[in-house]
Amino acid sequence: MPGIVQQLLADTEDPLAERQPHFPAKAKRVIFLFMTGGVSHLDTLDPKPALIRDHGKEINADHPEIKDRPGYERIYLKRPQWEFAPHGECGTEVSSLFPHVAECVDDIALIRSMHTSHSNHYNATLGMHTGSFTFARPSLGSWVSYGLGTANRNLPGFVVIAPQQTYAGTQVYASDFLPGAHQGTLVVPGATPIANVTPKIPEERQKVELAALLAMNAKHLETRNGDALLTARMRSFETAFGMQMAVPDAFDLGQETDQTLQNYGLQRGQTTGFGWQCLAARRLVERGVRFVELVDTGSSGNWDAHGDMMSHVGLAKNVDQPIAALLKDLKRTGLLEDTLVVWTTEFGRTPFNNTADAKGREHHSWAFSSWLAGAGVKPGIVYGATDEHGMRAVEKPVHVHDFHATILHLMGFDHERLTYRHAGRDYRLTDVEGRVVSEILA
Amino acid sequence: MKHRIIKWRDAALPAVLFVAVLSTLPTENSAESVSDDDFFENQVRPLLVKRCYQCHSGTKTRGGLALDSRTGWQKGGESGPAIVPGKPEASLLIEAVNYRSVEMPPEDAGGKLSAAEIEVLTKWVKLGAADPREEAVRPGAMNREAAQAWWAIQPLPAAESASKSQHIDRLIDAELAARSLTAASPADRRTLVRRATYDLTGLPPTPDEVDRFINDRSDDAFAKLVDRLLESPQYGMKWGRHWLDVVRYADTAGENTDRPLPHAWRYRNWVIDSLNSDLSYDQFVRMQLAGDLLPSDDATSGSREGIIATGYLAIARRFGHDIDKDIHLMHEDVIDNVGKNFLGLSIGCARCHDHKYDPLTAADYYALYGIFNSTRFSFPGCESKGQPQDLVPLLPQTQIDELTSAWQQRNATAEAETKRREESVGSLRTLVKDVAVQASRLLAESNIPEGASVSFSDSKREPLDQLTVRAGEILQLTVLPNASHGADTTLVEWEISETGGTQRKWSVADIIPNLVHGNPHKSGDGSAWCFLDVTDGPGFLSERKTVVSGQNDLSAWSLGDTPSVLVNRSTEPVKVWTTLPPRSFFVHPGIDRNVAVAWVCPADMLVSVTGRVADAHPSGGDGVAFRLEHIADQKVGPRLVELGELLNSPEVVIEPVPMIPVAYAAVEGVIGDARLHKRGDPEMLGDLVPRRWLSVFGGDTLPDDAGSGRRQLGDWVAQHPLTARVMVNRIWQWHFGRGLVETPNDFGARGQPPSHPELLDWLAVAFKDRGYSIKAMHRLMMNTDTYQRSSQMTEVSAMNDADNRFLSRFARRRLTAEEIRDSLLLAGGNLDTTPAEAHPFPPEETWSFTQHNPFSAVYKTNKRSVFLMVQRQRRNPYLALFDGADPNASTAVRQLTTVPTQALFFMNAPFFHEQVAGFARRLPDASADHEGIARAFRLVFQREPTLFEVEQATSFLRQYPGSLEDKWVGYARVLLASNEFLFLD
Repeated sequence: MPGIVQQLLADTEDPLAERQPHFPAKAKRVIFLFMTGGVSHLDTLDPKPALIRDHGKEINADHPEIKDRPGYERIYLKRPQWEFAPHGECGTEVSSLFPHVAECVDDIALIRSMHTSHSNHYNATLGMHTGSFTFARPSLGSWVSYGLGTANRNLPGFVVIAPQQTYAGTQVYASDFLPGAHQGTLVVPGATPIANVTPKIPEERQKVELAALLAMNAKHLETRNGDALLTARMRSFETAFGMQMAVPDAFDLGQETDQTLQNYGLQRGQTTGFGWQCLAARRLVERGVRFVELVDTGSSGNWDAHGDMMSHVGLAKNVDQPIAALLKDLKRTGLLEDTLVVWTTEFGRTPFNNTADAKGREHHSWAFSSWLAGAGVKPGIVYGATDEHGMRAVEKPVHVHDFHATILHLMGFDHERLTYRHAGRDYRLTDVEGRVVSEILA
Repeated sequence: MKHRIIKWRDAALPAVLFVAVLSTLPTENSAESVSDDDFFENQVRPLLVKRCYQCHSGTKTRGGLALDSRTGWQKGGESGPAIVPGKPEASLLIEAVNYRSVEMPPEDAGGKLSAAEIEVLTKWVKLGAADPREEAVRPGAMNREAAQAWWAIQPLPAAESASKSQHIDRLIDAELAARSLTAASPADRRTLVRRATYDLTGLPPTPDEVDRFINDRSDDAFAKLVDRLLESPQYGMKWGRHWLDVVRYADTAGENTDRPLPHAWRYRNWVIDSLNSDLSYDQFVRMQLAGDLLPSDDATSGSREGIIATGYLAIARRFGHDIDKDIHLMHEDVIDNVGKNFLGLSIGCARCHDHKYDPLTAADYYALYGIFNSTRFSFPGCESKGQPQDLVPLLPQTQIDELTSAWQQRNATAEAETKRREESVGSLRTLVKDVAVQASRLLAESNIPEGASVSFSDSKREPLDQLTVRAGEILQLTVLPNASHGADTTLVEWEISETGGTQRKWSVADIIPNLVHGNPHKSGDGSAWCFLDVTDGPGFLSERKTVVSGQNDLSAWSLGDTPSVLVNRSTEPVKVWTTLPPRSFFVHPGIDRNVAVAWVCPADMLVSVTGRVADAHPSGGDGVAFRLEHIADQKVGPRLVELGELLNSPEVVIEPVPMIPVAYAAVEGVIGDARLHKRGDPEMLGDLVPRRWLSVFGGDTLPDDAGSGRRQLGDWVAQHPLTARVMVNRIWQWHFGRGLVETPNDFGARGQPPSHPELLDWLAVAFKDRGYSIKAMHRLMMNTDTYQRSSQMTEVSAMNDADNRFLSRFARRRLTAEEIRDSLLLAGGNLDTTPAEAHPFPPEETWSFTQHNPFSAVYKTNKRSVFLMVQRQRRNPYLALFDGADPNASTAVRQLTTVPTQALFFMNAPFFHEQVAGFARRLPDASADHEGIARAFRLVFQREPTLFEVEQATSFLRQYPGSLEDKWVGYARVLLASNEFLFLD
């Protein structure tokens, strides 16, 4: 099977061929952990003693979420609800919401000066994934897949494991104008994470049929200008063929030891939960999947704590132990040497609200926290800072475009040169922006 | 003025949308004769509104300049204050409108003002720029004037509606020409018939239909094809699905247990039927919002259909554990969908605060909230509130009354009879029980040790050979299970012989052959045997068993397994739990339950009683005991027989309540305005907001006797020009793959402006002028060159119009999830094209769904995919795989994915294999390869194979391993997995 597609599509470039990046890099693959809804930096990773001190104090802010908003004529600072403490040898402060992740701070480069361009979920989520806050554009995972090709043709190069759809739907993992082979493949946690992988006919017959199918499709394509959708579908059969063997193996978490399952907080046989997603991610990157994104919840019941910050408790508990287990597991197996782990959300939450005793926080595009760990990342550091109330990223601010440029750099790409020509123009993930945060490179 | 023309324009003033046609301004008015304010109001303000507000008001302050208030121009934009009062020559505004430095308004916003208009502004500035506009009145994010100048809500222009489809081509071609794009050549006929048939019915054309169209050389062949397709009932199943996407139709409620909505299907089918009958869109809108309130004599809307149509409201998503506690969220879902679906407005965003971008206020939101809060929605049930309520009957009350009163009458008789019987049974039981105690005389009594046998004579307490028994009195043998409580199979032999007179004999042995004949077991002489449970008064063993333990030779009277009276009728022993000797009679007490055999004496006589009782199933217990009694009261026998007959007579049938067909729908509720929820919190109530129409549309209020206001809302929505624009845009999108407005659910400030504004308005006018006929719009749009172009992309269009926004070609598309499944079923010969009705949900009375154990099912059906059961919390896995609609939110545009998991479906899905097998069976057998290949091509691709393809196929069939059938099935799989099958050119 493999090879036939290449022969038939000889005149079009093989989008899945393994390619060298622009310059040598440690990171060969990415695990992208996306917390949907907007995690409060103030209650998790960005300690602000002054915010405790000034709790209830009235302030002014020309903030996008409150501009011309009735009831928000006056705003007041609101203190964090969880205690922070230094952890590890580096002493990075993390709140009690993330006790397990706190144990891993010596491996993490924490960025406390993130900021983004939009305070709507839809736009900010799209922006964090595609660099575009308005239009459908290729996802970060698609760009990485496009840049490096695949190391395992029997699995999709870009896998998204999500229990529900997040904001902006499938656009966040779509390849858009990039070849469809770089589209993220959705896996929904469950007993059958991927359906129809069991072959119904003997392999020999399947090969004959697929060869005939590809020949027929190639003939069909001849008169259709090499339509990218049609070629993408042809290539999808090649991957599908390999998945019949590779998927049952990759998702057979029963091969793991009791200790490993326990580390991830999993019962033997359990097939849902963020622990399952994390362990499945490790097994996928082990097998050469280029980019694995894990989404923790969906477009509702998430971190969007307008009503009450206490909803962060359950959401943090859901991901904390699994993430720590993943980091330790990757380190133990040496995978962390050439795997980049990214943790982020779409935006932060306001250090204020319109009453001093409001229980929740609003959307906040001016500042939030994200972190990187693993291949090529300087471990145990904190980069950038917000002002004393966590309002603005004031020290060494990192915009989403900079974040993307840095991730691409860690993968060996000059973000300005990783381009794709579409509709007469060269497009790139970072549009016309982006600065590599070289200070966090190892 | 440091900025040069290009810079200011490019940085601050990109293309604006489009500007309303400027009405003629009075230019000859002398300013001297009116006050400064009047001059401003009459001349300046209208001019600013029409020509400047598009870019310089509300949230849109290009170049930082706002012209919607005095402070706006005083502060000015990036280049400083725009007006120096009294000094036109020093005012940037005047400089710009004269096109001296910058050019305002720019060409794409209507171009330079007329000389008269420039004069008005100049004069105004010269006179001191009197401006009463202190601050903008803001409906939401725009001030009122900017909002009212918003393109999408303008009245429809007086377009030349008589012109035909060619007008569409003119407008499209003009845009192509303006961009140096050339149109693709016309599509060939086979492509056209396939395209139009899928487009209108969601199914491929049959080979006959293809031939007929290809051979029809008349000029209007395509128009006739469109007409024929519009007449097909399959049309509604395709276009109904489009509508169900935007109304986020689902068959479950979406609250924590995701309960089934067994009646929602009526709304689904109503949508399909309405499209098939081409119900005018304005009426379609009215009925969904207020069908229950429309006059039932209205020819288009009998009340039954009207009620069903409000299923649109009822299918709103429900939330939480107790739906009523989160009812404000259901209302948000309703308002959000009403806004997006009909008006292209995100009104739902105004729940917690005024809209951030559009002219919608939180008060608007709660004005509508009051309308829906005055409406009673059918209740789907939930974990804390039990089963569904408030379903709406679909028969007039008079008919329901008739049905129920007839039923009540019939049942009254039955109920009276039941009552009479209950009373008789009660009094008979009491009487027999009392007498049995008072008149009982013990004749014999004994314990029977394990496995032993005791005769009556060995255990007698009274002489048994000269017993006087009178007519109606009873001799009764009771077997007791003893202290072990358990039961034992107990053999009984018992004979009663008349010692004088006729010398008759009665023996239990006599009734062995026909034990089950009756209980009471009466004989012609007036005697009767009764088989009783006498634990607590007389109870008849009422279950007649003709087979016991699988043995046909055993029969019994019992209550459950025990207590019982049973016999072995056979002349052979029968081995069951123990071996039962031939021709034997047993009683079998239950656990702590005594069994009796009673004999009712037919006449006064002297008798002798003989017999024995034996433990026939020794098993380590403590045996049994028996007691033989004479109940010496002549009343007791007849009463016992009467009681038995009463208990064993056929039950009085109570008819079930007549089934009244019901709809999951909405009707009027408790009428009243709602209070604003501060920050969207239903616990923090604000002012009462009168129910009314959106303020940006005039805020019409309700008449006093309006009821909920849904009826008025239906009219407001149906008549608004925005509604027509939104719908023609959807129809366009569903034909051409993308809307003229690419954000079909958002015609507000955050939406995309139309690619062809003039065309959009022309279509809206045409829609209205054609009585809001959706089918007329299909004809209009499909009978164009634009629709009938080939899907070939030229290099120029790849470069300059890669997204095909300007329609130089037809947009090739993948079949939708529904089209793929229906086409596969059709190919497999398994598609049932008749409409489906209700889903096979479990009966309501069996529901016990919880959040931990929610409803979840996937039902198999060969009906069209629009009839698949759609769940909110667990998406139908097939529909999810192929990008089906999201049942939780209005799906205006289906996103498209191409992933290997879809390829796996075409390799290994059992459903795919079933259809392939069916398809292969439809091909002629392999003795005629060529014919089979040609037929396969006609069925799957609607065309003949080329010579090359025949060769390829022949060689495949030759080389493929396995039987002839295997070969054809293998080939069928290839065809049905191919791109040509899956994509539409």
